[in-house]
Amino acid sequence: MTLASDPGNRSPGGLLWSPTAGFAAVGLNARRRTAGMRTDYIKEQKQAHGRKVLAVLPIQYPKELLTAMDVLAVELWGPPGAPRGPGAGRIQAYVCAVARNAVAFVQAGGTQDVDGYLYPHACDSIQGLATLIPSFGGADKPALHYLNPKGGPRPSSRKFVVAELRDLARKLEGITGVSLVADRLEWAIGLHREIDGLRLQLLEGRSRLALADRALYEVLRRGEWLWPEDHLAELKEAAGGLAEGGEGAVKQKGVPLLLTGIVPEPMTIFDELADLGAYVAADDYAAVGRRVVRKPLVRKDDPVETLAWLMFAYPPCPTRSTSLAERMDYLNRLVQQSGAQGVVIHTVKFCEPELFDVAGIKAHFGAQDVPVLFLESELESELAGQTVTRLEAFVEMVAQRRKS
Amino acid sequence: MSGVALGVDAGSTTWKGVVLGSAGEIIDSVVVPAEPLVEQQTRVELAKLREATHTPEDAPVGATGYGRKRVRADRAITEITCHARGAFHRTGKAGVLVDMGGQDSKVIRIGVDGTVADFSMNDKCAAGTGRFLEVLLGRLKVGWDQVPGLVGSAESAVSVSSTCTVFAESEVISLMAEGEPVPGILKGVHQSLASRVATLAGILPVDLPVFMSGGVALGRAMVDALSKELGRPVTVLPEPQLVGALGAALSVR
Amino acid sequence: MITRRLQYELIKHVGGPFLMELQGLQKRLKGRRGPRPDSPFGPPLESIGKLKDLMTRHYLEGRYADGAVPVAWVTSGFPVELLRTLGFHSVYPENHAALCGVQRLCSEYSDAAEKVGYSRSLCSYARTDIGGVLLDKTPVGRLPRPDLLACCTNICQTVLYWYRCLADHFKVPLVLIDTPYVYGAKDSAEHHQQYVKDQLEELMAVAERVSGRRASEERLLEVARLSYEGTMLWGECLAESTHRPAPWTGFDGFFHIGPIVALRGGAECNAYYRHLLDELRDRVRRGVGGIKEERYRLLWDNLPIWFNVREMSTLLAENRFNIVVTTYTNAWAEAGKRMDPTDPINSAARSYTHVILNEDLDRRLELMSRLAGDYQVDGALLHSDRSCKPYSIGQVDLRDKLAERAGIKSLLLEADHNDLRAYSTEQGNTRLQAFMESFA
Repeated sequence: MTLASDPGNRSPGGLLWSPTAGFAAVGLNARRRTAGMRTDYIKEQKQAHGRKVLAVLPIQYPKELLTAMDVLAVELWGPPGAPRGPGAGRIQAYVCAVARNAVAFVQAGGTQDVDGYLYPHACDSIQGLATLIPSFGGADKPALHYLNPKGGPRPSSRKFVVAELRDLARKLEGITGVSLVADRLEWAIGLHREIDGLRLQLLEGRSRLALADRALYEVLRRGEWLWPEDHLAELKEAAGGLAEGGEGAVKQKGVPLLLTGIVPEPMTIFDELADLGAYVAADDYAAVGRRVVRKPLVRKDDPVETLAWLMFAYPPCPTRSTSLAERMDYLNRLVQQSGAQGVVIHTVKFCEPELFDVAGIKAHFGAQDVPVLFLESELESELAGQTVTRLEAFVEMVAQRRKS
Repeated sequence: MSGVALGVDAGSTTWKGVVLGSAGEIIDSVVVPAEPLVEQQTRVELAKLREATHTPEDAPVGATGYGRKRVRADRAITEITCHARGAFHRTGKAGVLVDMGGQDSKVIRIGVDGTVADFSMNDKCAAGTGRFLEVLLGRLKVGWDQVPGLVGSAESAVSVSSTCTVFAESEVISLMAEGEPVPGILKGVHQSLASRVATLAGILPVDLPVFMSGGVALGRAMVDALSKELGRPVTVLPEPQLVGALGAALSVR
Repeated sequence: MITRRLQYELIKHVGGPFLMELQGLQKRLKGRRGPRPDSPFGPPLESIGKLKDLMTRHYLEGRYADGAVPVAWVTSGFPVELLRTLGFHSVYPENHAALCGVQRLCSEYSDAAEKVGYSRSLCSYARTDIGGVLLDKTPVGRLPRPDLLACCTNICQTVLYWYRCLADHFKVPLVLIDTPYVYGAKDSAEHHQQYVKDQLEELMAVAERVSGRRASEERLLEVARLSYEGTMLWGECLAESTHRPAPWTGFDGFFHIGPIVALRGGAECNAYYRHLLDELRDRVRRGVGGIKEERYRLLWDNLPIWFNVREMSTLLAENRFNIVVTTYTNAWAEAGKRMDPTDPINSAARSYTHVILNEDLDRRLELMSRLAGDYQVDGALLHSDRSCKPYSIGQVDLRDKLAERAGIKSLLLEADHNDLRAYSTEQGNTRLQAFMESFA
């Protein structure tokens, strides 16, 4: 498959591409190209590989299961930009853009090539979206639901996840025509562990990677729609750029920051940070770092049970957990390991799970004298001027502290 | 003249410029309504300032405000950093600066060394800004100069619960129709505005002094309302509208 | 027991602003003797006095509860029967927040929460509650500190995020009953039900540990029976409004729901509803309506607009519109359909899973259409509540579908359940007026 090797247009203040990665896609034209690429890619996956395709809503779902059943997951995070078309007004403006944009996009035919939809249970808004379309229309393909249990692992929820995974496998069978094979699931789990291992290397070794944030995130986010083996290949290539020599070889000189939030949109935020002389030293985006399992795998005899174990092994996420302290500990470790000197909360407006934690994050890092910036996005296609000002002021502030 | 610097604060409502002398004093300044062609306005106004003060062409220019990236300047810095610098230049101490402008308001925590320790902004809607006041004064048919007298004469504040400008306007019309006294409504409007800004400010440490800058600080009634809401005295910085431009000039000196 | 000791104070203490508000409402309707001649409402319900007593006693008990009995802060949809069996005193932050909303205290409490970083776009009940906790303020005298936080996601996921913050603040255990949403079917899947049952068992273990008591099977059956009885009685009270004219208004219902939410599973709750039912039946017999002249009947969807109840009910009544059914008040009666008090755990798993906000939109439409038919409504008021996503998502479609299926027209009214700053009464009244005029 082809990767975009054309440097593309330079957006104001945007970094093009990194020599080590050799590819990137920046600017609006490239965004269109990526979307076009995605449609072509999906078609190719269906025709050449005979795979079924599911549009998957945020956040967390058993991707290993889909891979094992030869189903391509194409995640739907927005897309960014103002919602258009007949579905644009179906969900009120005071609901987050992730849900609002999704319904508009689906109804406008943006997912016409898929064979079905998978709605994991993330929050009230996704919950609502997951019944709005199947019950009241907007897409005619089958809807599958995966009910993520809330709260940490309890005997009740561990047992439940096993049953829910088997149930999902049965439903997937209805779409693929074939049943789940244990060996394939073992293989898929291994594959995704390898992927996570590389993603982790890239995220944790950030300071030693001579890659612009924008380029790195492009690679990481392509995992939202690439067939995992293709994604693995790209990750390996990017990881090849990790400086030899371990700790000593720091390549990133900018102000290190921790970014936490739902999804990095618009992606131009990374260009902006680079312009300001900052970089993402640690990532806690629900779409990125929060879905990378960092614990060593605990294998069970039955791969479905292994997968069930995995579903509880993710970093703490406010959509699911009952402990604020656990999340603060985790964020603390991220800041410490990465040397981040500031925290940027990059939420989507109206996102309840993220917003409820803001006070806790401010208090927690305030007590340690680590500055926190709060940004709200509406999944706009370009960064708002106000957001740029805030980012600038924040980086100016953190950079000043660095000096003194 | 060595050590002279120029500061520009290209805001969305007003354009401010200062000429900063080598001793750190403001030699000359100007505040004019902002024009859409900010680069042009900046060129023209800076030329006037240079001429009036015999400032050489090569004197450094610092720019801040909404239009900072569009103008020709040696450095473009955010209004947060500039306001902190400008305020610290005036006070020499740590504190909390409340800047209320035409279309935005911000609260900046300034450290003992004059750097920004924390900040929060409202620049997404008119709530908590000069615009809120402007719209409601229009409704009440009250001129800016009449405000202190009227608010002073109010027996009690008529509660204006809406912090949203559009809702508040409807609310004020309704109150006027019900025969509520204009001074009382006006006082309530100020309280509503102060309340919005106080929320932006968050929890303030007890011992930190509070300063105010921005055009809205020229109104005594607003300063009093804010002081009451925060439960502590509020000091208006000298030439409150120029604090940002001052900070911009300081940044290039 | 504590309650007994306090009964003496109660006669004098018509305390609690909630009750003062009811009193105020009553006064406004009644004046000194009987209703004002120009009041658009029917005679006020006599039962209000008893309701006041009951709720006062509940809050007053609360003041002395911590340290005396185990205390739990509970979500409105939580299977509280299990806690009641262990003698927990339950506090309902939602009920308390609503009371603050009526009192127009949300702005002040929410400000306190916003100052530390809670966004104004969050649920206004949560902001009211968290702000009240931070300020250590409440109009009911004092809320007892929780020993346990009990949260059930059947009404929304927000309660989980909210209670997690409370757990961090109070440093007490949080028990979660996670009820998987029912998609695409009438009944919850078997393994989903098993999950809920398993959680109920886990809940009992934690609750027993926290309370230091053991649950008796006998007591659980007793509480389950009382809960079922109360639910059915509440349903019967609501059903009186199928008559023409309806003997009370939907707004009355918003207040009289207090006992079934906060005192469910107790004998006093049931005694109260029996009393209320008698009064309602009597009014039906005599043709006494909640409003003087009932010309049009409406269905209300979503939470009440607590800070505007008086004004809105008056505006509607003056125009001869009565809210005869609400999906909100009906929710606590609907639950009864799946209850079986002889089998408490299974019953709880089923009935607490199948509540309006935990069932898909097909079910929601069916329910609303059925209610519209049963209560013979002419139109619907859909409160598009800006800080309650689970109840509001789908309303845009529901408006159209109700027109298709039930032949009724609806007004989508944007407001908020507790935060008056999110609502412009002037604009809202204009919309209501225009809607009412469209019936002529």
